[in-house]
Amino acid sequence: MDNTYLLAVIVAMGAVTFGLRALPFLSAHWLRKSPITRHLGRFLPLAVMSLLLIHSASGAAREHATGPWPELLAIALTCALQWRSRNALLSIVAGTAVYVLLRNWQ
Amino acid sequence: MPSAPVPAKLSLFTLTAPVAMGYVPLGMVFGFLFVQAGASWIMALLVSLVVYAGAAQYMMVPMVASGMPVGAIALATLLINMRHMFYGLSLLDTFPRGPLLRWYTAFALTDETYSVLSALPRDTPPRRMALLALLNQLWWLLGTLLGAAIGTRAHIPLDGLDFVLCALFAVLTVEQWRTRHSPLPLWTAIGSYTLAATFIPAHALVMAILMSLLVGVATYKNPASFGRPGGG
Repeated sequence: MDNTYLLAVIVAMGAVTFGLRALPFLSAHWLRKSPITRHLGRFLPLAVMSLLLIHSASGAAREHATGPWPELLAIALTCALQWRSRNALLSIVAGTAVYVLLRNWQ
Repeated sequence: MPSAPVPAKLSLFTLTAPVAMGYVPLGMVFGFLFVQAGASWIMALLVSLVVYAGAAQYMMVPMVASGMPVGAIALATLLINMRHMFYGLSLLDTFPRGPLLRWYTAFALTDETYSVLSALPRDTPPRRMALLALLNQLWWLLGTLLGAAIGTRAHIPLDGLDFVLCALFAVLTVEQWRTRHSPLPLWTAIGSYTLAATFIPAHALVMAILMSLLVGVATYKNPASFGRPGGG
């Protein structure tokens, strides 16, 4: 992989992330008073996480010809475990293990 | 997520141990996947040092592997990490004052560090807050290094290991769903991704994020209508 490109990506991602985390210390007033940022703060996280989930799952489903069933099953298991246990590591490890089993021993 | 206040007597190690349990293995997965995607272990370490944001780092692996433009990756990072903008707000009064400690702690304000810091007693010394943030990042770096070391040596022949990305996003979606104010963001995501994948399949994710942002702005009700039930 091209290191110049990677460095540019790292600097850009780092600057954006630090900017977001540092914003309250620069302009807490604006953030607190602006109702649209508060609305987006409640709206966007769930929308973006769902998008990342759908995007990565459909990417995985396109890599094999058996249909999206392994993805749907493993995601349902991961979500159910996380909903009940709130243990992220357990949910991720169990979901991935079931997925790897489904993909390799069909 | 605010949890019960923790006694100040707890050692730094005890306070960061739960974070370590998550950060070491998840950092390992990032390091492993990043190296397997073709990057060097130094680059993997640099990402965890400079960017230090779990979900965004996971997201970047397939993006850099397919050579997406830097601007598109920066935009996706902005939208994924937008939630971090609100973390500092609730910590403003207790945050370290000295510039070095203050800006480092702000830089290191991940989901997990925020949840630890926001549960500390209000009279916690600023130095202790900064040290906690630093320890958490060290766990993440340690995980990244271990994962990258395994990734450069081993080729894992199992199909589907990169499903950990999906599983992480599923976990984060469930946590966002738990604190939802309305189910609309989920339907918006499904609708915009279907549209984007149908018409602009090459840039489905970024286009769908932009569409969701537009829906977010469009569903914003101006302050005059605040107080009505069921808003946003």
